[in-house]
Amino acid sequence: MDMSILILDKGTRCTAWNYSGQRLVAGLDDGIVVIYDSTDPASSTFISTSRFKARESSITKVVWVPPEYGDAVACISDDGKLSLWEEVTEDTEEHHWKMRKCFDGITSQVLDVQFGDGQTCLKLVAACSDGQVKIYELLDTLELEKWQLQAEFQNVIDLVSKFGNATCVSATISWNPQRSEGRQSSFVLGYSSNTPALNSPKVWEFDLDHQRWLPVAELSLPDDQVDEVYAVSWAPNIGRPYELIAVATQQGISIWHLGSNPEPDGRLSTQNVAMLSSHDSEVWEMEWDMSGMTLATTGSDCVVRLWQSNLNGVWHEQAVLAPAG
Amino acid sequence: MPGMTSDSGEFNSLSIVPHSVETQTPRVYPLRTRRVAAPFPRLSITWARGNTLRVSLLQPGSEQNPGGEVVEVKLSNADGAEIADAQWRRIAYGSVHPYALLQSRKNSVDAYHGDKDWWEHVMEYSKEINSLLGDSKSSVTPTIEDPKTVLNIVEEPTSLKAAWELMELFYADKQSWTWIPERLLDWLADFDCLFSATQSTVHARLVVFQKELVTIQTVENVPDYWEVISSALAVGWLDVVVKLLRLHGSYQLDQLGSRELENGLVEAVAVLISQMPRLRPDLPEENLGECYNTKPEFMKAWEKWRAQITKLDCSSYWLQCDHQQTRVGLKNMLQIMLGNANTLSNVTYHWIELYISHFLYIRPFTTGLESMFTLAQKCMHLKPISNHHKLMGLLVGILEENTEVILAECSRSFGPWMITHAIELLTAGSTQAEILLHDEQSKLGGICIEELHRLIYAQILSSHALTWNIAPIYLTSCSKQGLGLLENLLYKQPVHHHQVLLKSIEICRLNGLDYVGHDIMKIAGVHYWKHGKKGSAVFWLQQAQDEVRLNRIAKHLFDFVGKSVSDESFKQWEGMIELLGTESKTAGGLEFLKKYRDFRRSLQQVQEGTTIDEARKAAEALVSLMRNPSTPQQFWLHIIHDSLKLLNWKECPLLNVSQTNLLLNKLQELSFARLLPGFVDADFPPEALKCVRLALATNLGRSILDE
Repeated sequence: MDMSILILDKGTRCTAWNYSGQRLVAGLDDGIVVIYDSTDPASSTFISTSRFKARESSITKVVWVPPEYGDAVACISDDGKLSLWEEVTEDTEEHHWKMRKCFDGITSQVLDVQFGDGQTCLKLVAACSDGQVKIYELLDTLELEKWQLQAEFQNVIDLVSKFGNATCVSATISWNPQRSEGRQSSFVLGYSSNTPALNSPKVWEFDLDHQRWLPVAELSLPDDQVDEVYAVSWAPNIGRPYELIAVATQQGISIWHLGSNPEPDGRLSTQNVAMLSSHDSEVWEMEWDMSGMTLATTGSDCVVRLWQSNLNGVWHEQAVLAPAG
Repeated sequence: MPGMTSDSGEFNSLSIVPHSVETQTPRVYPLRTRRVAAPFPRLSITWARGNTLRVSLLQPGSEQNPGGEVVEVKLSNADGAEIADAQWRRIAYGSVHPYALLQSRKNSVDAYHGDKDWWEHVMEYSKEINSLLGDSKSSVTPTIEDPKTVLNIVEEPTSLKAAWELMELFYADKQSWTWIPERLLDWLADFDCLFSATQSTVHARLVVFQKELVTIQTVENVPDYWEVISSALAVGWLDVVVKLLRLHGSYQLDQLGSRELENGLVEAVAVLISQMPRLRPDLPEENLGECYNTKPEFMKAWEKWRAQITKLDCSSYWLQCDHQQTRVGLKNMLQIMLGNANTLSNVTYHWIELYISHFLYIRPFTTGLESMFTLAQKCMHLKPISNHHKLMGLLVGILEENTEVILAECSRSFGPWMITHAIELLTAGSTQAEILLHDEQSKLGGICIEELHRLIYAQILSSHALTWNIAPIYLTSCSKQGLGLLENLLYKQPVHHHQVLLKSIEICRLNGLDYVGHDIMKIAGVHYWKHGKKGSAVFWLQQAQDEVRLNRIAKHLFDFVGKSVSDESFKQWEGMIELLGTESKTAGGLEFLKKYRDFRRSLQQVQEGTTIDEARKAAEALVSLMRNPSTPQQFWLHIIHDSLKLLNWKECPLLNVSQTNLLLNKLQELSFARLLPGFVDADFPPEALKCVRLALATNLGRSILDE
């Protein structure tokens, strides 16, 4: 059943739903951010409840902060600036949106940002246009103002090599959605840049003993020259013995199994289980459903595709949702 | 016929259930928008709860058009066309209890050793589920009152019910295994009308004839009359046949005299029909035939009955019957009863009708599934149909004993609800199916097919705000991945809605997911804290045992309290501390605030002229507060300063030597702490500090003298 639930304001460039699907944030051309809310959990009617000017230039990406840290969104603008806004109610006032942090310390352009590891300490990964990955840590669980740069590195397996003059067009980050406390925090990150070594998606894991981030897997085939990684998406794992990650590149969408236990060299085993051709050229977004069984993708052919593995473990396209007309 | 589907191209039939059968090209479903139109420079997707996918369609800016539209797509192949949403929810809710009961019986050891066989429990379950799917009143029951009504037109049953009953009779009901053909006959009587939509059936013919009947004077002259009678006889609707026969003109009083012989023949056939032996334990009251429980008895009776028909067929009375139509019609009926394959084929329409007629008149001794599939194939060959009803796929799968086809048909044609619940019937009745369904598949991430279908159904339930709370029942019956999915479902609940929050916590509690419950309460607590509801915030953070945030809140309060200790501001935050309740054991900081409040109160009561007891009580409170390690440094000076009147108590020293020393040590510690980084200065005037020192020194002197 398809149903129109919301009409977006003029000039909407990007949207994002919060954890419960009850709020939508939209970033506009003119730097304005609009919040849409549903009135009660059973209703599918959404109305715009707040708008505020976040930047002078167009907002290109909006990302919700995990709900354990409040109602807040990170906005990336056209000029690559990252800022963090939070909804608060102070004393007797109505609730309003306040800027909590502007990450001015990042001199290059921010291409993508994702929050992760909500259980113990909120972390933010920002992928920048110079190929640097910056990880910030929230210092105070109740204040979104105070962040500390925890780590900074390039997306390369060989930690010694440095690429000084990388130019990246886009980046894509996906955290391991696993929430259990015992697990190390990890994410996968890929780039579209002029430096192939930076591009291929790598899985980074935080090494508690040495307090540093280590690349534990690379999701590309040995003889593969990865030019551009459009999107990566780490599937929720509700009990599989392996992790599932989807990677969209120029060649198509590839599905990877990632082993859970490290091998003697500290790496995680990877297995490419499917290579699916899709969306003509660029893949815009990929998202797994809550069971990690169905992958939805959109791309420059303007349709939504749904992918699934059949009972024999063969991945295939299950359905296409195309805008009518 | 595996792989056959009845997809209608609507979202109702959009299946996201994995099958083993290889699908070819993916189907394309249209996304209908209200206000925006293609082309879209950007689409954005998000999964909401369950199987709900939200697509943001953004369009380039222009003066007239909005910036885009969000379309919500619910991906499930529940048959929305046949059953309305509200009815679906009623079925979903109604099936929870029987399902849960069956699972709990399955888990208890007694179930297999109790006084009942397992299949009896399954039958109880099946009956309860079946009752949710609508009335089981047969539509071919004639009503007695009106002689002209041969068919009782009742509300059309659903294919879902028909499918359920098929599964029940072939898998769950072990008692019916000896008389499956008769069960199928009953089934067809109830559901033949479902096939009428796409093609001619006996039921459809009867409905048409019933309409004509009102206008017909002498039925026996109408060819339709004899055709309809023969058809009804072929599929075993004996009561309809007898009722129609009694409409024969020769029964009319004014004609009885002249058509005595004719009437005798009609009545003889009617009597023979009503005495037809049936291999079944019993018949509903209004149905005709004589029941035989065992095969030998039935065979004996059958031979005798057949002999009577043959005798009638060869009778010389036929030559004397003047009414040609009656003679031909009745003889034709005798041919049916004698099992003439050609006649049966001529009077039936759908292959399943022909199939039933074969069991009734050609192979009456068939029991069990033996050779049933071959016969079905033969009938399908004789009566090819262009438009396959979805029930046929299921029936063929069952007759073929192909579990994979049955599963595929169940899930594709009848949806996740059907397959999740019908698996219980299937596993009870077929060892092959049980092995297939319970075998853990590494390709599915280590779960079995049964679990896969339960997960999918639970996900569909999760999609709707009115059904998400029954999904846990199904998820907890999934041993491997159920709790994982339940966790994800709970994390997606909008917890700032109080009812949803309480329900979520309840579900966590019932399923031993305390850590999820704590996370949910944490989210709620933070939401309230950020939105000015500080009391609720503290309550939920306490429930969540979130010490990190509570200590942070306590520190926030200290900062506030520490800045202004005048009695006015004390009142402001006294209410706040009250809200923290008595359970604030988790956070040391909050515990301090309560103690501090109690101390302030007792101090306030110590006025001029109060008794020494009250003063001593206050002094004790002071000492215990200063001993407490959770009392923040920044308060020490304030507390001692506030207690000056205790230290300077005229009558006698209220603190003994060791107690005074404790306070002096605290002062000392404070002066060291001042040198460390991170020290919070209490903003205390130097004169006041002098007063404190003096008072402590005096008190020490007095108490030494005292002791």
